[in-house]
Amino acid sequence: MGLVKETTSGIYNLLLGLWVTFKHLFRKPVTLQYPDERWEMPERSRGTIVLLSDPETGELNCTACMLCAKACPVAAITIERKKDPETKKNYPTLFTLDTTVCCYCGLCEQACNFDAIKLTGKYEFSVSDKSELLYEMDFLQEIGRDVKYVKKKKAAKKAKKAAPKKDTGEKSAEKPAAKTAEEKKEDSNEEDKAKDKTSGEPKEKGPEDKTE
Amino acid sequence: MLELRPIFDAIGEFLNSILPEFWVTIVSAFGTGAIILGVASVFVLFFVWWERKVSAHMQQRYGPMRTGWHGWLQTIADGVKLLQKEDLIPRDADKLVYLFAPVVCFVAAFLAYVTIPFGEGLIVQDLNIGILYIIAITTFTVVSLLMAGWASHNKWSLLGGMRSAAQIISYEVPLSLSLIGVIMIAETLSMVSIVVQQEGWFWNWYVFRQPLGFIVYYIAATAEANRTPFDIPEAEQELVAGYNVEYSGMKWAMFFFAEYINMLTISAIAVTLFFGGWHAPAPFLDFIPSWIWFVGKCLLSVFVLMWFRWTYPRVRVDQLMAFAWKFMLPLAFVNIILTGFGIYLF
Ligand code: SF4
Ligand code: SF4
Repeated sequence: MGLVKETTSGIYNLLLGLWVTFKHLFRKPVTLQYPDERWEMPERSRGTIVLLSDPETGELNCTACMLCAKACPVAAITIERKKDPETKKNYPTLFTLDTTVCCYCGLCEQACNFDAIKLTGKYEFSVSDKSELLYEMDFLQEIGRDVKYVKKKKAAKKAKKAAPKKDTGEKSAEKPAAKTAEEKKEDSNEEDKAKDKTSGEPKEKGPEDKTE
Repeated sequence: MLELRPIFDAIGEFLNSILPEFWVTIVSAFGTGAIILGVASVFVLFFVWWERKVSAHMQQRYGPMRTGWHGWLQTIADGVKLLQKEDLIPRDADKLVYLFAPVVCFVAAFLAYVTIPFGEGLIVQDLNIGILYIIAITTFTVVSLLMAGWASHNKWSLLGGMRSAAQIISYEVPLSLSLIGVIMIAETLSMVSIVVQQEGWFWNWYVFRQPLGFIVYYIAATAEANRTPFDIPEAEQELVAGYNVEYSGMKWAMFFFAEYINMLTISAIAVTLFFGGWHAPAPFLDFIPSWIWFVGKCLLSVFVLMWFRWTYPRVRVDQLMAFAWKFMLPLAFVNIILTGFGIYLF
């Protein structure tokens, strides 16, 4: 009896296997034909770093404040600056990014208050010589020309206006009720920091501000 | 009608009118040889590409895509690459045997086509012992594999060669016995007569009178062609590549070629003996030329073999042997006995 049962179940399973592979034969392959097709990179993906320019004047947004260089955990950024005698504004004379050490943590982008540096969805920057991985200011500006961005200050102002109106309702809807105390603490810490940067910002602001 | 027989007849008549008889024999022998070699090569090129496509799509990949439309030139590109490769001979190899192994393999794979009817009248030589001849000649492959394994002076090759010898000899027994049922019904060994007897509707095909025989034949033939799930002679994960580890360039390509030719051979035999050869499944479909039917059935069978390969895992050596001797062999005997009863009763 056992033999018959084993044989029938064996045959059944063999046929089942054939059926499975046959079905798969007609499915659409999951392969992405890479050089011909590319993934759509997400908005906030952390790929190659670019320097952003003002879309109107075409000048770099960077004020050479050095915050990004200080924030960088691996000291990938080197900046030298000069002061314009007329406008009394700083501008960078040298801005290099050493992508061989950069770990794409995004801290530089968070530190910058002037929408000047951003991690983008761009990739494909392989080179045949390692020295080419030291990006100069002009190159960083060039690859950042087509990057669209939302100005931080404007966004913050908008949020500030919007926040008091639909304050409580939005907050309870967007913040999950089951948030741990730790997370809440973190949130408030970040908010404090943000408050320091842009003074006079109300403490209860929408969670969307944290993304900046 | 697009039958090919009249074309060959015309060529034969033309040759007879301009050449003495001796030369006609020579020319037609070399001519048919060249035609079969050419046709089979085209099929092999196609099969290699097809197998890669089938395997890829079964795993939801694309397979070759870069060379030509959906990579159809891939096999040709591979062939060109293999031609350029350095031809290595291991220092301690048995040179003569080493050099002859791929040739033997290649020739053995092709000799079977002498008695396979590709269409109505499209047969090189209708031997009256056709089946016997094919069984004998296809087993020749084992000699070449053993030669390759032995001469390479490499433990993986030798293991692969020994395994293939053990496997092919074991499976030769049920394979031959499974064909006896067909021979008993047909009462002939000639391939053409067997096909002629399966004329008419598809239920005249011998697969419906010999289902057990067909199953045993197909499984044994899969093992004979060293294909998964019975590919232990070249089990990549255990033996690197088995008997052909040390081969490179065109010598390796010849083994590869022979493997795919064998796939076509076992399909052609299955079609001839069990699926009505060149006959259409229904009489009113006869307007399609016979060779198209034959090729179509062969392609279907080759697809099934590929399907097996990309579905089933490899069996172990002991399972393989146990399966051959303890299961397939008794089944083949049962088939012969049942056929005998059938013939006696009807
Ligand atoms: S992403 Fe991180 S590591 Fe790279 S430059 Fe910015 S701060 Fe430095
Ligand atoms: S990129 Fe931003 S943070 Fe870095 S120096 Fe320029 S303005 Fe300052």
